Amino acid sequence: MATLDTPTSTLEPGSFRDPDSRVFYAGDAVLRALSSEGLDDFQALQQAGLLDDPRIVATELLPEGPELPVPLVKGTAGVLRHEQIPFVSYPYEWTFSMLKDAALLQLDLLLAALDRDLVLKDSSPYNVQFRGARALFVDIGSFERLRPGEPWAGYRQFCMLYLYPLLLQALKGARFQPWLRGSIDGITPAEMRGLLSGRDRFRRGLLTHVFLHARLERRHGDRGGEVREDLRQAGFRKQLIVANVRKLRGLTERLRWDPPAGVWTAYGERNSYSDEDAARKEDFVRDAAGACSPRLVWDIGANSGRYARIAAERARTVVAIDADQGPLELLYRELRDEGDERILPLAIDLADPSPGLGWRGLERRALAGRGRPELVLALAIVHHLAISANVPVKEVVDWLAGLGSALVIEFPTREDPMVEKLLAPKRKGLHPDYELGFFERCLAEAFTIERSEQLGSGTRILFFARPKQARPPA
Amino acid sequence: MTSVLAYLDPGSGSMILQVVTGGLAAVAVGAKLYWRRLMRFLHLRKDEPEAETASKAEAP
Repeated sequence: MATLDTPTSTLEPGSFRDPDSRVFYAGDAVLRALSSEGLDDFQALQQAGLLDDPRIVATELLPEGPELPVPLVKGTAGVLRHEQIPFVSYPYEWTFSMLKDAALLQLDLLLAALDRDLVLKDSSPYNVQFRGARALFVDIGSFERLRPGEPWAGYRQFCMLYLYPLLLQALKGARFQPWLRGSIDGITPAEMRGLLSGRDRFRRGLLTHVFLHARLERRHGDRGGEVREDLRQAGFRKQLIVANVRKLRGLTERLRWDPPAGVWTAYGERNSYSDEDAARKEDFVRDAAGACSPRLVWDIGANSGRYARIAAERARTVVAIDADQGPLELLYRELRDEGDERILPLAIDLADPSPGLGWRGLERRALAGRGRPELVLALAIVHHLAISANVPVKEVVDWLAGLGSALVIEFPTREDPMVEKLLAPKRKGLHPDYELGFFERCLAEAFTIERSEQLGSGTRILFFARPKQARPPA
Repeated sequence: MTSVLAYLDPGSGSMILQVVTGGLAAVAVGAKLYWRRLMRFLHLRKDEPEAETASKAEAP
């Protein structure tokens, strides 16, 4: 049982918008305080039999305990305990299919809820998390009893945070991640309208969900209370929501985005290049993961996920990070179809990682604040950070040391064909610090090098190192 | 159950649009909504103050 009487419960800074429900932590437990309306809604959800749905985070209502230091504006009537999510991620780090699957999950749960006279009060992708490649709905507080005559309050939010970002990438080939990272509420109907051409109005669903939506919003922007009452009196009912959600589901289901052809080719060949270097790298990673028994691994520069898969043999969770969404998208589809719950692909550029966002910059946490890994795999990435992103070699090593994790790192020398390619367009004499001897000295300053191995090609050296400094608090 | 307003602003344009996206079931609702607006236009010639409708909606 969670230690409910602990004086050290902390509020989740990203969970303040709904006055009927708030997430907080006590020790390792993830808890949610509910107001009395929130508790009634939860009990309705329980009675409807939806709580046991495997697509929803495992949740239990705790027996009444001592008074909790949880400042719900309306007072706390009950507390839920949720299953922990191994690594929290945000939609601006997901690939196209991850956002699409989250959208379909949102709509499917809404249909299931409507069938039982319940509704989801919002439609935010921040209510979905991934356990490996499995989407999980985590906001139990979002379920509420359907009020007769009320329209679907989350429709606009669904468009802004799910439909429009997906449309942007599927129709225009523009990545949605920078938009979602730039605006916590997503893309407004007027903005989306501005991004489309006149011809787009003939595409399925766009005339209503974008063009008409933007127009109605301009005309009726500030008449919320009146419109709500008009709709109720005009006999608005559940069937209208169901019809809309079904059509939106069909529209979302049809949206597709595929990585460029080159990514497919490289992905298809990833396991067939059975050169000796790759096999030795696999063994090296396997041994390192075995030596650490890590709970959480970051594979930075994960690409097709070849080594993330090796690490996942020994770790509970591997976050497969890459700046390039293409191979991660293919990796996600494959993992999802396998039913994987250990490897989480995230599209993050480590030279520009996710910052803290939203209210006080704490509503969405920065990457480093979401749990430190016990092991970091940095294979074929140092040269990208040091040469392409111009980060000094010592700073790359110092950043890794700051994580306080054991490290498997690959250093391709200046003679390596890939490094030569990266250096070629640069002025001669640049990056003098990109040199094996200097790198090794930097590494030895912050880490104890336990093992190193030169790969057969001679231009790549692998190191397994442990940090000299104790792990900083997460 | 009291009829409280949702914490999320559903957007008035987005609410009206749900009559358009509601399919066949929405035809009668759309007609009534339009009729109501027409009547208000003809007889009242101005919209009801919002505060009044909001407090009505909040009444138990």
